[in-house]
Amino acid sequence: MNVSYNELQGLCRKAFSGIGFEEGDAADAADMVAWMQCHGLHGVEQLNRGLDFLLEEDPEALPRVIYQDGDLAVLDGQSQSVLRSISLATELGFAKARARGLSVVKIRRCHNRQLIMGYLSRLAGRGMNITAFWRNAQIPLTEQVVGFRAGHATPEVRVYAVREVPEENEPNDGITLVMANHVELLPSLGADHDLDLLAHHPESELLACRQQALADGIQVDDAIWARLKTLAHRILVESSEASRDGAGAGINDND
Amino acid sequence: MTEADRLSAALPGLRPADEVMRLERLGSLHATRLSFVRTLVRQMARQRWRISRERFDLDANGHGTAIYRLQTPHGRYHGVMFAQPLEDTQRSDRVIAEAWDVTFGLVEGDVDDSLLAQMAANVPLQEAGRQHPRVLVLSRANKSLRNFAHFVEALAAGHQPDPAWLTWVGYLYRTTAVYGNGKFGIADFARLHDNPDFRRPFSAQMAGVYLLRHFSIEQVEHLAACRAPDTACGLATELRRYLGIGNSTGLGMAPFLINHPQLIAQWIAQRETALALAMRQVPDETDRQRLIDLTRRAMCHFEQTVTEDADQRERNAATVAALPDVLNWLANVPLAADLWWQLVEWGARTLSLEAQELVNTLLIELYPDPIDSLEDHMGVTENLDLAPDMPLMHLRQLIETHYGWALAHDYESVEGAWWFWYRSAEKEEPRLGQRHLEAGAEKEMPIAIGPRVARTHHAIRAFLDERPRASVVDFLLEHPRHKEIVRRIQTLVKAPYGDIHANLWHRDMKPMHLLRTKLSFFGASRFDPKSDRWVRITLFQGAPLVEELNAEPVDLGTFDDWSFPLEPGMPARDGAPFACLSSRSGVMVK
Repeated sequence: MNVSYNELQGLCRKAFSGIGFEEGDAADAADMVAWMQCHGLHGVEQLNRGLDFLLEEDPEALPRVIYQDGDLAVLDGQSQSVLRSISLATELGFAKARARGLSVVKIRRCHNRQLIMGYLSRLAGRGMNITAFWRNAQIPLTEQVVGFRAGHATPEVRVYAVREVPEENEPNDGITLVMANHVELLPSLGADHDLDLLAHHPESELLACRQQALADGIQVDDAIWARLKTLAHRILVESSEASRDGAGAGINDND
Repeated sequence: MTEADRLSAALPGLRPADEVMRLERLGSLHATRLSFVRTLVRQMARQRWRISRERFDLDANGHGTAIYRLQTPHGRYHGVMFAQPLEDTQRSDRVIAEAWDVTFGLVEGDVDDSLLAQMAANVPLQEAGRQHPRVLVLSRANKSLRNFAHFVEALAAGHQPDPAWLTWVGYLYRTTAVYGNGKFGIADFARLHDNPDFRRPFSAQMAGVYLLRHFSIEQVEHLAACRAPDTACGLATELRRYLGIGNSTGLGMAPFLINHPQLIAQWIAQRETALALAMRQVPDETDRQRLIDLTRRAMCHFEQTVTEDADQRERNAATVAALPDVLNWLANVPLAADLWWQLVEWGARTLSLEAQELVNTLLIELYPDPIDSLEDHMGVTENLDLAPDMPLMHLRQLIETHYGWALAHDYESVEGAWWFWYRSAEKEEPRLGQRHLEAGAEKEMPIAIGPRVARTHHAIRAFLDERPRASVVDFLLEHPRHKEIVRRIQTLVKAPYGDIHANLWHRDMKPMHLLRTKLSFFGASRFDPKSDRWVRITLFQGAPLVEELNAEPVDLGTFDDWSFPLEPGMPARDGAPFACLSSRSGVMVK
């Protein structure tokens, strides 16, 4: 079905509230999904893949700081979706970069990592240069790098395969964020590296996707939409004769 | 910094948020020349917008399809109306209704057969349909049955309807929702960001309502002509102008006010800037006389305003009773450079809140230049952003400085936590429930900001006891549930008209004030509450007509002078400054 950006964002927010997200997290998660979807990066599909995990996650198991100093922080994402509360880990990196010029934040053990782009977009819009890096698979070894220029809410995204896999290739389900207050950190691949570029989404392409989504709407799978509606229904109070009076209006207006 | 921001920053005379944002005062606001219906009409006239009828396929019962073209210098739009039969048992103004007398959409661009077919299949279904992404506005309206019947009967008989009918109920149709911004598949507001015609908040919605007003006139004339082709006449110009469009509104407006605090702050900041600009003008005798004339007109308007609601009737009566004193004051106080300051200060000491805000509205009315330039600054980019590096101690100080109102309430008492706000499973209709009596409080909509600020303040104080040098992000990593309210506070201390200074849980809280706040910015008049949480209002009553717009008016000042409309044939009488001719001040059975 064809939906609007606002409609997708609104339904996701209600669905996340229905799952039990705190209000701020529900709003952030909805923004992340809708942002990804309208930039052609399949946010709804990403969400759908992680939805069963989300429903079973322990809402109290929030990201935990393992180590931090002035420039650096390492957090344990508790094997949860980035949708739940990862925004605060990125805000920690933002605060450190503002104070020290550059920061590095490593978030270990998290999934739905693609969706973090939606929140990083907000930080970039607030004037921060950001590079996010993670590995997607071990065989073949693929890496993704996302770069935002300060003041630009749309990134450049590259995905590539590493031909010469290092011997030590442990599964890596983390994200590394580098933020710099003043220095641009755009991803660029040197020609002499032994890499296969699998995907490249320049800023202009993603912006064009957004324009098209605003003009034509966004296609969403009917089944996923129905599932989100079911989750969103959880925040509604069942109607009764008494509650109908709670709107303060009559039922018939033949006057 | 925008021009409006510069104006605001340069004006030290803006009233403090603690005065302006009190719920009772917000619930006393009147429409101003910056209200959206006024700015739309000015824009249409200034830019020579043209409206033409493209299709009018109505049967003898007035049912069928009509299409109006709206041509601006920048683009072309179409208002597509579907009028259909409706059983009386189905006619409800509530969001839970499923059918209406007329449904319509405002479309960007042309309407070909394919789009018309898609709209015909979906627009009448409203929320239950899937709407096209070129539809900018989706709406529906129900008839005022008595007015409709009276107007058709009178026109069919070849005479004009009694204007008093429009004084009692100022419209033939009242809308029950006017959707924009992506609802049910229609275009996102973001799509209009670069659209010079409709980038102002709610301007597309108001244009849709203006087209409905024109349709209502043409439809009622069509019905009269069908009924009695030999005798029927058209509606007189004065009555056409006096005909507005109604709107029936409930609690749905309350979440909007709370969920868009930066937008609300922007609207109120522009209004307060306008007031400060007006107050600093040095008046001459012409200005003084103009204000006297406007006050007389407003007095008659309120004397003519009819409502069954005892509280609103009392408030209108208090306003009418106070205005002779205002007129006396204006007639007798010596002309001085700070006359308007004196007037506002005198009013604050002696007038009701509604009368005070009426005087403010009239002062704003006096000065199109420089005030009208503020109308371009009603929009805002909404982002409640965290400042994670802010020292937590600073945040605590900000809360205690700017949110004293929120910390002053008792949210533990029965009275202080009386209501909870929720959405019903029945079409998500917003409702109020009594916390200690009704089920569903665990699903409460978090729109009462006061208790949330108090809870966060409590948690911050405890955290600071342990870690006095902590930053905001340190606190939030351990207490993430406070993230939303923290970033709201951090954002709104820079936009202080964003939060309403009231406990929205309290037993004495009046939801009507919330509704009126938003409606006043739309440009609503004739507030007619049907309960403490349901109101009917009128839009565009007195506004220039489509044919007057198409005639390309030269004198835009006169064209724009339609606030506080009076019943035709009953003008404010020159030389009778303190009395209105109307004797219609009681309750009318509608």
